[in-house]
Amino acid sequence: MTEEGTATEENPVLYVVRPMATAAKQFAKSLVRPSTVIYPFERLEDPAFREEVAVASGKPIGVGAIWDNYRGVHALNIATCISCNLCAFSCPDLCIEMVTVPGGDPKHPKKCPEIDYGKCSYCGFCSDACPEGCLTMTTRYELATAKRSEMVYSPEKLYEVFRTKLPMNPIRLERPENEDQILLDPPLCIGCNACARDCPTACITMLDVAKPEAKAGEKLPKRIWKEPVVNDSDCVRCGTCISVCPKECLFWGKRP
Amino acid sequence: MSQVTLYSVAYTLSDDLLRAVGSILPAGPRGLVTSGTAVTALALLVFGAILLAASMLNTILLIWWERKLLGRFMDRRGAMHVGYAGLLQNFADGLKLFRKNTFQPREADSLGFYFGPTAYLATSLMIFGILPISSGWNAGSLPLTLLLALTIFSFAPLFIFVSAWSSNNKYSLMGGMRSAAQMIAYEVPLLLAVVAVVIVAGSFDLTTIVYEQQNYWFWGPLVVALIVFVAGMLAEMERIPFDLPEAEAELVEGWNTEYGGMLFAFFMLADYLRALVGSILVVLLFLGGWTLPTWVPGSLTSFPLAGIVWFMVKTYLVFGLFVWVRAALPRVRTDQLLRVGWNRMIPLALLSVFLAAVLVEVRCLPVFGCVPSAGV
Amino acid sequence: MWINMGPQHPMTHGLWNLRVRIDGELILDVDPEMGYLHRGIEKISEDRHYNEVITLMDRCCYVAGMAWEHLYILGAEQALAIRPPERAEYLRVLCDEFQRLGSHLMWYAAFVQDLGLMSPFLYGMRDRDLVLDLFQSYTGARMTYEYMRVGGVRNDLPPGFTERARKVLDWLVDRFREYDALCLGSTIFRKRCDDLGVLRANEAVALGVTGPMLRAAGMKRDLRKDRPYAAYDRLEFDVAVADAADVTARYLVRMEEMRQSVRILHQVLDWLDRNPGPVLADRLPRWLGAPYAPVGDEGYLLKRHYPKGLGFSSVEEPHGEAQAYVVNEGGQHPYRVKFRSPVFANISAAKSYLIGYRVADIPPIMGSVDVCVGEVDR
Repeated sequence: MTEEGTATEENPVLYVVRPMATAAKQFAKSLVRPSTVIYPFERLEDPAFREEVAVASGKPIGVGAIWDNYRGVHALNIATCISCNLCAFSCPDLCIEMVTVPGGDPKHPKKCPEIDYGKCSYCGFCSDACPEGCLTMTTRYELATAKRSEMVYSPEKLYEVFRTKLPMNPIRLERPENEDQILLDPPLCIGCNACARDCPTACITMLDVAKPEAKAGEKLPKRIWKEPVVNDSDCVRCGTCISVCPKECLFWGKRP
Repeated sequence: MSQVTLYSVAYTLSDDLLRAVGSILPAGPRGLVTSGTAVTALALLVFGAILLAASMLNTILLIWWERKLLGRFMDRRGAMHVGYAGLLQNFADGLKLFRKNTFQPREADSLGFYFGPTAYLATSLMIFGILPISSGWNAGSLPLTLLLALTIFSFAPLFIFVSAWSSNNKYSLMGGMRSAAQMIAYEVPLLLAVVAVVIVAGSFDLTTIVYEQQNYWFWGPLVVALIVFVAGMLAEMERIPFDLPEAEAELVEGWNTEYGGMLFAFFMLADYLRALVGSILVVLLFLGGWTLPTWVPGSLTSFPLAGIVWFMVKTYLVFGLFVWVRAALPRVRTDQLLRVGWNRMIPLALLSVFLAAVLVEVRCLPVFGCVPSAGV
Repeated sequence: MWINMGPQHPMTHGLWNLRVRIDGELILDVDPEMGYLHRGIEKISEDRHYNEVITLMDRCCYVAGMAWEHLYILGAEQALAIRPPERAEYLRVLCDEFQRLGSHLMWYAAFVQDLGLMSPFLYGMRDRDLVLDLFQSYTGARMTYEYMRVGGVRNDLPPGFTERARKVLDWLVDRFREYDALCLGSTIFRKRCDDLGVLRANEAVALGVTGPMLRAAGMKRDLRKDRPYAAYDRLEFDVAVADAADVTARYLVRMEEMRQSVRILHQVLDWLDRNPGPVLADRLPRWLGAPYAPVGDEGYLLKRHYPKGLGFSSVEEPHGEAQAYVVNEGGQHPYRVKFRSPVFANISAAKSYLIGYRVADIPPIMGSVDVCVGEVDR
């Protein structure tokens, strides 16, 4: 709040001229080619355009843009989907619903993700979680529709995206070495077969266990004398068995 | 070749029209219709219509010109999709504004709210009637054209203040106050700079002033006056760096905050009309109007309507300068603006008047050549 | 006369309300009101898996999402007793500093536009876009990155990234000179910004003002130096300080910070070129959430099986010092997450640097504060 500015009293004319000269320099540069990308006609994801512009204009337009791992609309390969639910469970926005698609048997209907893009935040957790790599994200980002209902992409529609062979997000997270395994708390198990029935990879088999002798005056628990055994190399760690277990006898842990 | 003027064109046009109308009428009304009075009346109307159309068209072109220039200054392209190179974009914008509902705040004063923008646009349009675009292309050659133009030009703060106050909005009111203070502060140096030109040219008639510049343009000898005039014009036109009446950062839109639709379009058009008038005045007073220096080859000046073409080229280039300033400089603060106006601009303007008087007195005009001025 | 500058006003750069009492053009009193953008991020976090909270952090501050991800991740890692690999730490510094560049460029654009400078506004936005391009190339998104994970980062850099990044940095350094010519080289800019919005160091400390505003008052405090996190203790840089405590000083501090960021980034890029390695810690518990998504609700593991802990982290965010407090009471979700927003303190101190100036000074002063309402209201 002093009366006059202090620092620039020495040559006021120069200080008006300098910004104007800078603006003029910019003007001359943008006469050749402005930095703007005329979007529907020029696209940054087109590598030819990027090279042409970056080389011809001397401006780094799109230099940093690599589109291969862009997180856009999902692509779903229905054929390899194992209905493990992991995408739906990992979704922070609850925009994925597993819907029945033809191909399963009546007892075990095949369920694939249906994505509501009105809710999706493109965080990529679902494609990161997919154990089979059948749900990936593509570089497609144009989703404008006239109806809200068209924002919901059925598995078939997602499969259409897959068949366009757009560049898929290549980042596949490595499964860690010492992953947790499915462990059983034997005394709780009733041998109901629910886990083996619903396992998407059929890696659980029910093996017989010896029926103990009933002691005098004591009743044996009423159960089927079978117990699940998990084949760790086939298991995708989806946890379906844990969620369907009626007795909560399965849990994550490290086998001793 | 006889002098073609805008009025003669209008007169011929209306004469032909009335003759054609009269030929199908019985004798009694025919005499009435083809009488000199009727032709003159219609000619004036046609003249006004042509003027209105031309000034509006130029205003819209000016907006396009600013958008394109500003775009390149900002490393982008400006309007480019509607029409060739976006030439029709402003017509589309105007159409949009025209279709919008004209609304009025509940507490606003109707009379002032509607009177303000209308009068602002009307007075801005009035000036075009007396500005000589080229030799003979103005309504009439009054002896005091310049004074009249500047008088009409300085009506604006009144109407701005009326519309700001009547829209009953705090931001509008502040913008109106700022506008009034600013325009009054810069009216004085503007007029003093004009006085310097008038001293050298010896006339208040814009046509005479232009013809006085046949040998040399006034911007050389009167460079101080030019600087003061351009700065004053920037303030009068309310453009950056002096656009604080509508400083959008703090006052939303200043005095036209409450206006929408066609009333806003009135303000917008009037603003650019005033910008056009400002550029035209700079060209007329300092850059030789429609004349070109004698060393320019004759082929460039002898084609039909050459005067108008060169005049418009100069006008658009001068406006380009204003756009350049807008692209490079930030907005000043009210108190700084007024301080610069009263403390710097008025002494500079007085200095320019003194210099003009000295130049005329020692008969050393122009500085290059020392040819005595004819008008003195 | 009281006027409401906000919640919808060009000056606010967000959604908040500055009530101003004026006499003519003179400011007599101000009263900042926040809360228009409250989304309950802290409460939502209590119902999210540890990794899912990251999606909220990007939306917490929409111009400095990476810094907020980093802040939360540091707190969560401390609460869960997980250490990231070294390469991940360098990658986080990379994110932080690019984010600082992006945020300061955004600030530059908004600030000069408040002063009526229109073309530098677009220059700033144009150059920020290059930073966003770089972010997109390795995170897959331009603003909502979701890149960091508890225990590291999501993925490594794509091939050819470092060369591209260096090209962008060279371009930016050239542009900084242009910015200075347009602002510091302009009489009108200096006349408007010198001795404006003065907030001295002692008052700033008393009011909890941090970041560039504090450093512009001559106080040499930068958490990257004072309380180094990630890989900052292994990098060379200077803390930008100015003395005048006015708007120009804040401009100078931020410009210098951008230059220092470029300096840090060159070191980080060199290091990343030389030292490949894992970017995510192994032996991560499954229940952290995506990408190792657990199924169903809690309860498949008894509460006593989870580790417990407290996490406190503070990060030098582009706007100031941000702090996070993560309480891990066992379970898949954090029990409580609390954030400290630097901008909240900076805006709340408005009375001490706005009163006595003029209405036309509000936009440049508030512009120099660099308001990001997303993190103020959370």
